[in-house]
Amino acid sequence: MPFLHERLDNGLDVIAETSTAAVSASLGFFVNTGARDERDAEWGVSHFLEHMIFKGTADLSGDEINRRFDGMGASANAFTSEEDTVYYATVLPERQTEAVELLARMMRPALRAEDFDTEKLVILEEIRMYDDQPPFGADERCRAAFFGGHPLFRSVLGTVESIGALPVEAMRDYHARRYAPNRMVLAASGAIDFATLVADARRWCGHWKPEPDAAPRLVTAQPRSAAVPAVQQIERPAATLAYAVRAVAGPDEHHADRFAAKLLTTVLGDSSGSRLYWEFVDTGAAEQATLHHQEFLDAGLFVSQLSCAAEDAPELLERIAALYRQVSREGIGREEFEQARNKLAGRVVLAGERPRRRLFEGGGEWAHSGIYRTVGESLAIVESLTRDDLHRVLESWPLDAPAATIIAGPGGLVTP
Amino acid sequence: MKQTLFSASLANGITLLGEHLPELESVAIAFHTPAGAIHDPVGKCGIAALSGEMCLRGAGDRTSRQIVEALEGAGIQWSQAVSTTHASVSGAMVSRRLPDALPLYADIIRRPRLAGAEFEPARQMMLQNLAGTEDDPVHRTMLALRQLHFPAPWGRPAEGLSADVEALAVEDVRRFVASHAQPQGTIIAIAGRIDWDDFVARIDRLFGDWQPGAPTTVATGPRGPRVAHVPHDSQQTHIAIAWTLPPYRSDESYEATAALGILGGGSSSRLFTEVRERRGLCYSVSSGYQTHRDFALALCYSGTTAARAQETLDVILAEIERLPGTITPEEVDRIKARAKSQLVMQQESSAARAGAAARQWYHLGTVRPLSEELARYDALSVESIERWLAAQPPKDLSIVSLGREPLEVPSALSA
Repeated sequence: MPFLHERLDNGLDVIAETSTAAVSASLGFFVNTGARDERDAEWGVSHFLEHMIFKGTADLSGDEINRRFDGMGASANAFTSEEDTVYYATVLPERQTEAVELLARMMRPALRAEDFDTEKLVILEEIRMYDDQPPFGADERCRAAFFGGHPLFRSVLGTVESIGALPVEAMRDYHARRYAPNRMVLAASGAIDFATLVADARRWCGHWKPEPDAAPRLVTAQPRSAAVPAVQQIERPAATLAYAVRAVAGPDEHHADRFAAKLLTTVLGDSSGSRLYWEFVDTGAAEQATLHHQEFLDAGLFVSQLSCAAEDAPELLERIAALYRQVSREGIGREEFEQARNKLAGRVVLAGERPRRRLFEGGGEWAHSGIYRTVGESLAIVESLTRDDLHRVLESWPLDAPAATIIAGPGGLVTP
Repeated sequence: MKQTLFSASLANGITLLGEHLPELESVAIAFHTPAGAIHDPVGKCGIAALSGEMCLRGAGDRTSRQIVEALEGAGIQWSQAVSTTHASVSGAMVSRRLPDALPLYADIIRRPRLAGAEFEPARQMMLQNLAGTEDDPVHRTMLALRQLHFPAPWGRPAEGLSADVEALAVEDVRRFVASHAQPQGTIIAIAGRIDWDDFVARIDRLFGDWQPGAPTTVATGPRGPRVAHVPHDSQQTHIAIAWTLPPYRSDESYEATAALGILGGGSSSRLFTEVRERRGLCYSVSSGYQTHRDFALALCYSGTTAARAQETLDVILAEIERLPGTITPEEVDRIKARAKSQLVMQQESSAARAGAAARQWYHLGTVRPLSEELARYDALSVESIERWLAAQPPKDLSIVSLGREPLEVPSALSA
């Protein structure tokens, strides 16, 4: 799968991983901006803007954008995270040029006040939708507790108050600041004609003005970690189960140990066949018990998630902590290590067959660090990992360190 | 579009389906036995689901743990699920792992231990999952709608009912597996980089001597009231609407699918445009076509703040009512383009192709080639869709709301 790269004069990176086996073409703009780049008065603007991008440009209405995507048979959408905003479409190869044109034009939206007011109602509905689902919210509150004053504390959606108070001018200003071509990547994967892709990018994006001295992302030297063990509770009277989230520090996305961290969480907390699975889920003690690794530019987290009967939550959280203490004392076994490594390797190979999965992986990595890896290279990294690597991770980022913990559930919980 | 499709059957009634996708390195396989929740006896809703879980908890000479270790140690992405009609186990893997995987699956399907010691943990696991679904208002709304609209037992939840699961015993599971996990009606579908002859020979060795059991039947019962409200303490009110449509095996199913797509599939659909884009009433609104073998249904869903729920319902009902007589050529073109993309792109996923083959066999008794599916979409026109809508306009709607307050349902469309 050849990899191709070209940088336009205004700084826009165009990259593609082309494949002769693929029957689809996946295309996307990766914008280096997200919730962490927002100012206090802009909380939630990144995600709200992502919605507004679909509401049209000076010469394309929102309805027209929707009709064009459906008319080319595109599977198109967008998402916003703490550090990225991504717009993508998967189409048949003969629609590549059309899809690039539409996505590119959308990146320069009209941001009409009238559309802004209507879409604000949709965003508020989205916030309430998640509010009604007890599993959501605990995760964000836990991140806020862990990060304290660090910019990563912000939830992506914002709050009913912050969205309600946001004026359209603030969004226009944010767009002008953050959607400069030298902060963006046009990535493609699958059955891609790269020469055409670059020509189309020049035509539709070549005139975009770069930000002359784009300040680096708000990377902070040391994220605040929860120095004091803190358990916070959120009352969710209508909830049936309790949902607990527990965070400690882990490697960030630039650290060489990020791959070992992923494998470690596969051994300990994958959704099947892991230590947490056998102890808590297989036995029916909990609905869910998982451990995963989240990585950001300058911070990483090991996040444990537990859902169970409310009265069991404190005891099960303590048993999870005990399991982590045992692992840090006794290490990882040879067989569980091999099993998890094979599982991870299998996932890398299967994901490699889907252009959209390759787009998200390749585009995201490139947008942050300018690194590209083939499926084979990713596989080689997984296969080169050893138990020593996992033990080093356990020593550097102890899972049994003081954690930020949130429990959301029906009342009457006892603090452990 | 060139496809390499295979099918074969064993003397005991098992159907084998295959598609060779030489561009892929992976292979995906799914085993569907006719042990679905439709066979849950009244008062024992959940027995099929519990049986499906129990089959993984020890089989042949492996313990529960050894089964998972063997699957995952080989890098197999596996899953187990029980639907209304089938109990399924499946896996996706690098193709060279297939010969080692097949005997494992044969043990799970033919030689589950169903040990007493595994029963209580399995039951507790199910009860945990059922408690979790209580916290998912959309899921609860759709469950309530199915129960309301389908004749029993088709609308009962495949995942079971907590009160029934509490009362089950391991003997129930053993009886259920003995009578329903059997070769007649079992479908084994594989897609990806395959060697068909070798595959058939292996399956014949592993499953050929599986003896058929007594045939089973399903008695279809009456259906309940058609409008219901489920009280729930939530900010949003969830609305779900259904009406009956011709099943997939009917010649009109493409017209029905297209009409539902024009109504609420995709972001240029009428519901998305009128409810979300124009009025900002909700985050999600959609409609789609869901089929069983003998009947299908139109399903619409939206969730919105309680104060705006009545307006949302009114707009959705108005759009449903407006559908006959207003289909445009542009709308039909967009439906065709979306269907074509989705069908062609399935070729990149061995699991999607294996799933499609099994589904078609169950519904049609044959695997319809992609070229024929595409031709059927190509044949759609404003006239054909309008003709179908005129003959079968939306009527006798079932409507479920979940939230703090019930909604007013006008009587024009609902029975």
